[in-house]
Amino acid sequence: MPFLFEEATTPQGKPLLRILARGEVTLADAEALGARIEPGARNHRWRILSVVEKGTEYSSAARKYFPNLQPMYGAIAVFVTSPIVRAAINMMMRLTGQAPNLRLFSTEEEGLAWLDALEI
Amino acid sequence: MSVTIEGERIDQLLRIIVAAATGDYELRVPLVEEDDDEFLEVELGVNYLLEELTLGKARSDGQRQQLEARAEELAHQQSELVQALSTPVIAVWPGVLALPLVGRVDDERAATITAVLLERVTAERATHVILDLTGVGTIAGNTMPALLRMVRAIGLLGASCLLTGISPPVAQQIVALGATAGGASVRALAQLSDALAFVLAQKGALQR
Repeated sequence: MPFLFEEATTPQGKPLLRILARGEVTLADAEALGARIEPGARNHRWRILSVVEKGTEYSSAARKYFPNLQPMYGAIAVFVTSPIVRAAINMMMRLTGQAPNLRLFSTEEEGLAWLDALEI
Repeated sequence: MSVTIEGERIDQLLRIIVAAATGDYELRVPLVEEDDDEFLEVELGVNYLLEELTLGKARSDGQRQQLEARAEELAHQQSELVQALSTPVIAVWPGVLALPLVGRVDDERAATITAVLLERVTAERATHVILDLTGVGTIAGNTMPALLRMVRAIGLLGASCLLTGISPPVAQQIVALGATAGGASVRALAQLSDALAFVLAQKGALQR
């Protein structure tokens, strides 16, 4: 499963959904995330920290699905070190249009600090 | 924004774009982790575009195959329907078959009519066949002999054949071939109803 979900808390104790992404992310994976954060679901409007491993790829259908998720999460901090994966996420952000509640970071700590500082 | 890009990366990208422009969507720009610059996003974007083109082509091919299969199926159904409609053999009385022909009769249709009609004559032990040509405008040049051969074949099966509704052009064709062309004795009447009355009288089914 390219997405591993874990419920945690930010350093300041706010609810956090941690996602570890690896491998080929398919539409089914993207929909599994959608099911966790859709209205009425447990993780709806939560802060999310997404740790995306080097080599992670997104299928065409998954790429097209992700923009639907924007109103369902509070904010997403994406921790990514691979330039190729970063480029892929940047491309998906272009598909989404403006995504003020999604930002890329090169360390987890920076991402968590940003999530903690946000008023959601 | 200013980015310095190695010529090789640009050449490679252009080669792949040119290939795509000729319909080859299978190539991908090789992505290298060390190329950590804005151009990497362009290269990845081209790959995404190629991926969409590949998917679109696959969808298009699939739809085309479905359409072709459907067209073939419809053509087959149409052919069956046309064949059924082109030889509407009706049993108008026990032992009496009528075949009203409509439209143009060419060699292929004449062959179909002959095959269907002879089969019905045998199956129903018909004594009379009424071939109504009211709806036939023209008969293709070599087809009249074929129809007259059919009349003779019906005779060989022990049934009599009557022609009705012969138009002036068709009458001229028959005369040109001789009224008993190929040994086929042709009895003609004006209308289908006349032929039916004639046959029923022969069978003693009508009071005269």
